[in-house]
Amino acid sequence: MAETFRFWPTLTEPLVRQNPVTLQILGICSALAVTTSLATALTMSASLTVVLTLSAGLIASIRRHIPDTIRLIVQIVIIASLVIVIDQLLQAYLAEISRALSVFVGLITTNCLVLGRTEAYARHHPPLPAMVDAFGNGLGYSLALIVIGTLRELLGKGEVFGYEVLAPVSSGGWFTPLNLMLLPPAAFFMLGLLVWAIRSARPEQAEAPDHVAPMPREPAE
Amino acid sequence: MIRGLWDRETVALILLAALLPMALAWLWLDAGDAAGRLLFALAVTGVWHLVFMFARAQPPSLSFALSALAVAILAPEGLGPVQMILGISFGTVMGELAFGGWGRNVVAPATVTLAFLGFGFPAAPWPDLVPPLAWAAIPAAAIGIVTGVMPGGVIAGAVLAGAVAVAAGIAPAPLVHAGAVVLVLLVADPVASAATTLGRWLNGLLYAGLLLIFAQGWTGAAPVQMAVAAALLASLAAPLFDEAAIAFWIARRRTRHGGP
Repeated sequence: MAETFRFWPTLTEPLVRQNPVTLQILGICSALAVTTSLATALTMSASLTVVLTLSAGLIASIRRHIPDTIRLIVQIVIIASLVIVIDQLLQAYLAEISRALSVFVGLITTNCLVLGRTEAYARHHPPLPAMVDAFGNGLGYSLALIVIGTLRELLGKGEVFGYEVLAPVSSGGWFTPLNLMLLPPAAFFMLGLLVWAIRSARPEQAEAPDHVAPMPREPAE
Repeated sequence: MIRGLWDRETVALILLAALLPMALAWLWLDAGDAAGRLLFALAVTGVWHLVFMFARAQPPSLSFALSALAVAILAPEGLGPVQMILGISFGTVMGELAFGGWGRNVVAPATVTLAFLGFGFPAAPWPDLVPPLAWAAIPAAAIGIVTGVMPGGVIAGAVLAGAVAVAAGIAPAPLVHAGAVVLVLLVADPVASAATTLGRWLNGLLYAGLLLIFAQGWTGAAPVQMAVAAALLASLAAPLFDEAAIAFWIARRRTRHGGP
């Protein structure tokens, strides 16, 4: 391996600068589906981070033995096995949240973020750097999910983690829950606003504009 | 668009003048807090235009008064100031200013605001529009079409479909009133509607058609709610109609003149 492995940048780069959700727009299907409340968002984040880290470690350790032609099949088998384990654990210990997450834990198998990291990084690096990179990406995904999940639960129900923060009108308070936040489109709005906020703070993440506006001309005298 | 006297602000001013009959009729008839609602909507929309002027050097547009008027007339009743600020801010910023200001948006900011308020606070009742307001829509549309700031094809298409529906007896009067007011305030926006002749007719027909479909099958919805939903979908489909009209024109030209 040519470049030296640096622990801290590999772990922290995917948090904001290379965030898989807000910069690379990877894995947003599940990110948008499970963020109606913070509890489901956290469980999903933890599940994905565990699957991602373990699969990266496993794939990196057998990277020299995987035939190139069937590497995707091998990777998916490893990821799917881990996902099934996680899914069973959730069903056993967190039955209610598992029901709320429905198919989305199972769909971690096909999450482009997991396959993207194993394919792009774990396949070419030793187990430790691969796992650090995977863990960092899992944390980046978790960060985006937690921000979106907190805002959606707060604005949609006036609660965070099921605890009442903004007193709703129905129980004598002032806050009117915004039902829209619990509907799927709201996840897109929140993700869009989050991406906008991050790219305003870090203009280097913004994409080049497709079109350049024509120069305004002075009106003829 | 910029030709001689005509620039974006001229269009906004003339649109404002065209909508004056409706604004006056509404203020005259709605003795309650109509003026307060209008001032509130003007203030919130105006503040966002100023924010974007300072933050992005984006020229503010008088069109903010158009969206404020539409929101004030059509917004659900009984919403508190926080909810109205949230809805108007969402519509103005996400529907218009984030795209670069009036003229670059895809849907009218007032349409976005009203859809947001409707979905976000489904319990709030939609306003009942009085018949004189719908009558005032006729001179408004006439001024708009004559001065060329409102797309005539959109209005003609919608009126044609509406006339057929009324003749067939499937359009009750409240629906026609709400449809006419929303047609002039939201659908006939020169930015958010289609820009080709064929596209405009299709756009108007789609709006009226959607409204009729909603009236048949959407139980429990107020006429204004149906009209706003139809306006949102019709303006989202407008670019598609333009694309289709241009593709049709190119194909016809090719058969006539030959070519690759």
